[in-house]
Amino acid sequence: MKIVACIKYSLDASEVKVDAASKELKMAGVPYKVGVIDKHVLEMAVSLQEAYGGTVHAITVGPVSAKESFREALAMGLEEVVLIENPLEGQVAPDVTAVVLAEAIQKLGDVDLVVCGEVSDDGFTYQVPPRLAEALNMPLISFARTAAIENGRLVADRDLEDSVQTVSVPLPALISVVEESNTPRRPTLLEAMKAKKKPVNIWNVETDLGLSAADLQQKAALEKVSAEGVVVHRKRQILKGDDLNALSNELVDLLLADHILEGGA
Amino acid sequence: MPGILVYSEKHQVVRELLGKARQVADEKGMAVAAVYLGESVPEDLADLGAWGADTVYTVASPLLVGLNPETYTDALAGVIAEVKPELVLVGATKPGLEISARTAARLGAGVASFCVDFDFSAEGVVTAQCMIYSGVGINTYQIKTQPALATVAPAVFEAVKRDGSAVVTALDVSIRQPAMTILEYKEKAAAGVRWEDAPVIVDVGMGMSDKSHLGLAEELASLFEGQVACSRPVSSERDWFPEWLGLSGKKIHADLCITLGISGSIQHVVGIRDSKTIVAINSDENAGIFSQADYGVIADLHEFVPILVAALKARSAKLAR
Repeated sequence: MKIVACIKYSLDASEVKVDAASKELKMAGVPYKVGVIDKHVLEMAVSLQEAYGGTVHAITVGPVSAKESFREALAMGLEEVVLIENPLEGQVAPDVTAVVLAEAIQKLGDVDLVVCGEVSDDGFTYQVPPRLAEALNMPLISFARTAAIENGRLVADRDLEDSVQTVSVPLPALISVVEESNTPRRPTLLEAMKAKKKPVNIWNVETDLGLSAADLQQKAALEKVSAEGVVVHRKRQILKGDDLNALSNELVDLLLADHILEGGA
Repeated sequence: MPGILVYSEKHQVVRELLGKARQVADEKGMAVAAVYLGESVPEDLADLGAWGADTVYTVASPLLVGLNPETYTDALAGVIAEVKPELVLVGATKPGLEISARTAARLGAGVASFCVDFDFSAEGVVTAQCMIYSGVGINTYQIKTQPALATVAPAVFEAVKRDGSAVVTALDVSIRQPAMTILEYKEKAAAGVRWEDAPVIVDVGMGMSDKSHLGLAEELASLFEGQVACSRPVSSERDWFPEWLGLSGKKIHADLCITLGISGSIQHVVGIRDSKTIVAINSDENAGIFSQADYGVIADLHEFVPILVAALKARSAKLAR
């Protein structure tokens, strides 16, 4: 079985801070890394490979400078990482990402299963897996907590808000996984050493995938007009001390003074 | 011709989307329509007129069952192709997130994800404000395609009741046999009333050591006719609740939100930060939640909550009206 894991070199959104006065997003120095959800994607892909045989190839769209960031991913049990050089400036829109990934998956050829995360750590649009399913014309099991191959079909539990569904689709297929699907393995030192020999192959959208970067630029349906940080004004008053009775009365006094609570003496 | 089309599988979200759509459409002289997809058409759909819809388009098919994303996409894309709206608003529930993106892919359209506000420019181009970086910021986008799509989380917009009755129009849309087979469909245990509507929320995090202490949270909430809610890991790892508050879950706008043992990641805070007042109780002085709260109490929740409940009772403190 040939399994493709779609992963992302993501911005660590928890490190983005806001300048309270100007509402400017402070992006300088915010680190990038293989995302949290992507570890779950890799774990799902590798454990399916272990159960049913085959190979796992990871693909990603990102800057060439990310090349050294995939060591741990490779050590989890991949054959290779295909790093598709970001054809555009900055963040790639989900509609463009889906087109590029679909082309790369077709180039890899004879893919049985594509594993994605439900949502990327930084973009947070939830759009890439469904758009990829449409582009590849393959069925998708989204929001999966489990996955198994039974009688040549992919069977999984989908976690929706109000229900859990057990569903099956014929292969080849896509699956998008939720954080709760598994606990990602930590590669051993030996696996990490071996991974140093595994390749990160860099593909170019034009020369390797036959796409036009100019067309892709045109394709992005959303044009950013402006960005600003969300500034929530909170009082941030800290109450501490050993006398919990005094603390609780102090808290009630404050809430009464703010007219959040009423009555009381 | 309807300017704005709204869809969600959740009735309350349909009303919320209609509330905002009606307001913008009235300013621009546009019409508003809702879409209903299902096995059969309920009789009371004209009532959506009282929530802002001029028209309700319906598609009924035995294939529209179990929220199968393939058949629902066929139906929604078919309605859009027929009706040709400028903007389609879809509730950002999990099924909504999937079918909106699939529909957009088929129509070559853009989707503004987690939209919190929108408008039309003088030229009729949709501008949408969307949450980015887990809610740290808001981007404003122009959506260059027609139709433009936007996903909107529950409780972002307000349902507004008015007079009116909608025209219900059945559409004949082609729906293919899906590749996906639903083998089993299990409803999760209901979480009670909607957290989005509760005036007071007691928000439980991983700092609560054991499920047996949930009674503390319930007693505190009951003083205000409030509800007990939780963070994602309390739901997904411990399974104490079927849903959670946060970016990927429910978003509340309570008068008072009291967090118990919540550490305060941005992904969680975005679910509670529209609350008027936030009180955080956590024994870890360095917990990020304290920078997001009005009042932070550094104390062990298991010891502090019973004392707080006693104080509130002794002083007959109620939520201010």
